[in-house]
Amino acid sequence: MLKLIGSLLVLLVSSYIGFKMASCCQERPRQLRQLITCIGSLRSHINYSCLPLHEAIKNSTNGIYGPVAEFFQQVASLLEKNPSLTPQEIIKKVLSDMEGCLILKNPEIEVLYVLGGNLGAMNCEEQENYLSLVIEQLERFENEATRLRDLNTKMYRYLGICGGLAIVIILV
Amino acid sequence: MIDNKIILLKKILEESIYPVLPVQIITMINAVPLERLKDLTEIRLRINQPLMLVLGNQDIIINPLGKVVLEYNEAYLCSQDDIQRTLQLMSKNSLYAFEHQLKLGFLTIDGGHRIGLTGQAIIDAEKVKTLKSINGLNIRLAREVKGCADQIIPYIITKEGQVLNTLIVSPPRCGKTTILRDLIRQISMGSKMNKGLPVGVVDERSEIAACKSGISTVDLGIRTDVLDSCPKAMGMLMLIRSMSPAVIATDELGRAEDILAVREALNAGVSVITTVHSKDLSELLHRPNVRELVESKYFHRYILLSDSPRIGTIKKIIDSSNNKILWEGAKNVEINR
Repeated sequence: MLKLIGSLLVLLVSSYIGFKMASCCQERPRQLRQLITCIGSLRSHINYSCLPLHEAIKNSTNGIYGPVAEFFQQVASLLEKNPSLTPQEIIKKVLSDMEGCLILKNPEIEVLYVLGGNLGAMNCEEQENYLSLVIEQLERFENEATRLRDLNTKMYRYLGICGGLAIVIILV
Repeated sequence: MIDNKIILLKKILEESIYPVLPVQIITMINAVPLERLKDLTEIRLRINQPLMLVLGNQDIIINPLGKVVLEYNEAYLCSQDDIQRTLQLMSKNSLYAFEHQLKLGFLTIDGGHRIGLTGQAIIDAEKVKTLKSINGLNIRLAREVKGCADQIIPYIITKEGQVLNTLIVSPPRCGKTTILRDLIRQISMGSKMNKGLPVGVVDERSEIAACKSGISTVDLGIRTDVLDSCPKAMGMLMLIRSMSPAVIATDELGRAEDILAVREALNAGVSVITTVHSKDLSELLHRPNVRELVESKYFHRYILLSDSPRIGTIKKIIDSSNNKILWEGAKNVEINR
């Protein structure tokens, strides 16, 4: 009886790990797509409405939910409350506060960090060009993340279940 | 009187100026007694030069403890970081939103205070594209002084209640905008001698109405429509077509297209009140674009201002039809109430 319960537990845990990793694989391209949408919207708010940065960032998340929207909302709120901090300092702080919520890898985080260093310090035209460049970079990351998702999602799920089964067989 | 001045200054500093200055500069200015600063008109920051406070016709420099000093080497010297931080706070990290103003060498912050900028100009197609490496800032304190145009009103409104075309002439820092603002308010509100009239304001530099998110933060009367941050020439025509004003008010004429738009407004039956930089009428005739308006006698009244003995002193009120001086002299309108 104990063996049966133990085996079931091992199987459940390994499957959970497999499904969790598969879900991370699916979540990353979704978050990257949301980032791209928000930055595209930010570009419009800057270029056409010339809104102050905190307002432009706040408005850029309209219709977006989840950690990415939360990230932009927190950046906007801190920018409004602490105008003496630079956007880069604020993005660095929010990225560190939200570590774990945003499923982003180092190159993407680096892009966001550099984005902070250039936000608000250029004229509309240059700002638009720079944001377009950031969007291009993020699109490349998104394509790569989508490729990995298609490749790995099923594999992680099977690996979780099969790995659990293998452990059970070995132990029993 | 003096108390009012100090209370007004304290309000301006706390609400509009301190939020755009770095902490160490706020601490220094705060250490100077307000009584000493009551005539404060400008705060000047230049890289590697003393922090300078301009009080009417004189200026003072202060040390890092906020004590007024006479020696240059004892004074607090502004750093590049001070300028950068101030610029960042003024623009709210959004320089792109001030792109047009930056090209013209200034920013206007909440409260209508104009910040003059100097730095390195970037030229594109023989026009200033923007300013970079900002090396100096001049924070000019704007004051709303209700009633400062009381003495002018009788000379620019006829018995029939019509507002005469008026040109306010003075060098910089003589109170043109403050007096224009009060004229707009009084014409819009109306009084015993005139009924209130619809006034259209084209506020190219956001100084007259001191708009925040497009909404005026000063009292311009109940019949006033403001076009904020709009080029004068374009704005005047837009107002004439869309808002049917009886009077159009705008600040600092100078460009050829401004003159064309003023002519258009005057010929459309709208009265115009505006300002121009010049010491007197003879000097005005040397200015290429404005000269035409003066020679053609488009304006009925010239109001000449001076900063002596105080900012806002009315030097003369002139009737352009016969160059008769309607008022001259001893009385003055003191705008630093």
